[in-house]
Amino acid sequence: MTRPDAALRLRRLLTIIPWIVDHQGSRLDDLAARFGIKVSDLERDLELVPFCGLPPYTPDRLIDCEIVDGRVFLRFAEYFGRPLRLTPTEGFALLAAGQALLAVPGADENGSLAAALGKLAGVLGGGDGMAVELGAARYLEPLRAAAAASERVEIDYYTFGRDEVTTRRIDPRAVFAAAGQWYVDAYCHRAGDDRLFRVDRVRAVRPTGEHFDPATSGGPSGGELFHPRPSDRRVALLLNADVGWVVESYPMESVEEMGDGRLKVVLVANERAWLERLLLRLGPSAEVLEPAEVRTEAEEAARRLLVRYG
Amino acid sequence: MADRLERLTNLIAVLLETRRPLTLEEIVERVPGYPGERESYRRQFERDKATLREIGVPIALEALYAFDQETGYRIHREDYELPPLDLTDDERVALHLAVTAVRLEGGAGGAGREALLKLGGLEGTAAPTLAALPDVPALPALFDAYRRRTRVTFTYRNDTRRLDPYGILFRNGHWYAVGFDPDREGIRAFRADRIESTIEPGPAGAFDRPEGFDPASALRDEPWRFGDEAPVEALVLVSPTQAGWVEADLGSKAVAERRDDGSVVVRMAVTNRGAFRSFVLGLLDHAEVVAPPELRADMVAWLTALAGERPGAGSA
Repeated sequence: MTRPDAALRLRRLLTIIPWIVDHQGSRLDDLAARFGIKVSDLERDLELVPFCGLPPYTPDRLIDCEIVDGRVFLRFAEYFGRPLRLTPTEGFALLAAGQALLAVPGADENGSLAAALGKLAGVLGGGDGMAVELGAARYLEPLRAAAAASERVEIDYYTFGRDEVTTRRIDPRAVFAAAGQWYVDAYCHRAGDDRLFRVDRVRAVRPTGEHFDPATSGGPSGGELFHPRPSDRRVALLLNADVGWVVESYPMESVEEMGDGRLKVVLVANERAWLERLLLRLGPSAEVLEPAEVRTEAEEAARRLLVRYG
Repeated sequence: MADRLERLTNLIAVLLETRRPLTLEEIVERVPGYPGERESYRRQFERDKATLREIGVPIALEALYAFDQETGYRIHREDYELPPLDLTDDERVALHLAVTAVRLEGGAGGAGREALLKLGGLEGTAAPTLAALPDVPALPALFDAYRRRTRVTFTYRNDTRRLDPYGILFRNGHWYAVGFDPDREGIRAFRADRIESTIEPGPAGAFDRPEGFDPASALRDEPWRFGDEAPVEALVLVSPTQAGWVEADLGSKAVAERRDDGSVVVRMAVTNRGAFRSFVLGLLDHAEVVAPPELRADMVAWLTALAGERPGAGSA
């Protein structure tokens, strides 16, 4: 019961003591803010420090902790002069976050972040063997600028699922990278609702000269990128073993092994163009079980493409 | 409660300061707070040791003297201490922005912040989320193996594989371990989320990374080049509506011809025909294989088979 708390507090102490040893007279409230804890928790931890030290635990062998006018002084704590090494997870997480931010187009390759990561890579013994790519998209920077300034913009947007380009006015609230893509989280005036747009499918961005109020345009919708609804069209396919990757690539409603290596899968497919692409690519490795009209749609798509080769 | 925290802190101090390994009995004698009965203090010490290892305190178990059977515990200062980084305040501000702007999903979620606390705490302000990166359980172990240069063994698609990790790469939403595969005798990339087992590390310093190795250039991005078939150069005509996107994707160097209507002909080096066909089909009727005749005929045959009655699909 008490273990998690002891581990947490111990980790905190081993992190804070070295800082105070190096910065004698630090203020309690500054320390609490720096280490992301409440002043009362910090005081509780520091109360314990005078009972710690080395045998025979005489006053000269115990850590001396004094708090004067809200300022903290530590003596005889030299053996805790340095913080603990980073764990592999901590080192990885810090480097990954830094490299990712540095990979955002427009990041300063010679700035403080790059300098910090250089020092970190030196200590971790890694060198430059970690690379993070968030990808670039042509209209990423104008959209980020518009979001930062709360500027309403007009965009031409390619809807992949319907294979068509539409023009719409949007209030871009935030631009972020997730699942290998850049997205704009925006209020769409054409839809009259919040929408996520993929930045690589934006075909043009034009200023409108209007601003929107970020406070009234609602919070970021964020979260899940794909929510199936009961009314969505569901398609059942029988997949050969060689195209099992489909299961890993798209959200599946259900997957059933047929015993002969084949898989019966059910997936949500509202958009005709999206399903056409999937079935054209899978070819003879997939059989449409239901609904029957999807089989006809795939055949029609193949005939439509063949016209180009006529 | 306070007793245990006190005991754990004293235990670390004693193990850090000792010049030789200490036996369990010596530890119990020096660190107050252990019960008197042997079985009880042994159990208590085991729990304490587990807690310390959990937060990353490196406790070494060593022979007391050379050729001695008896073993004891100590903490080597050089394994415990974070080497000095001499970060400036601006650099800490930048790292704070990074760990708040970039969200690592899952288990590694709070780890970046914990690391930053060790580096001197949170300076400046937090940033809104700019990117979310998936967390993969194998990653910290792969990263550790990469930086300690240890050969790793793991299960990948039901196969036991070995790798000298030269680097870690995040691309297209996935993490990869890139390195030398001693069994295939070549550079290979493994998608970290498809590793099915834990990562078994070998001894440290087992290999040298090639000078200037760049994981980003080692992983080929264009799937139609990722194959062993006889290389062939294909030309694909792309309609004006998709031309800009395809050019951005393949690079302007791939454009062989620009037509007046805005369409482009792109050149693609193909060693994997299946992946090439998938790319062209993804463009639906906005693209057409122009050359060579052999790949054009492949595409016609593929589409013709789909357009008509399919074997096995039947008409019933």
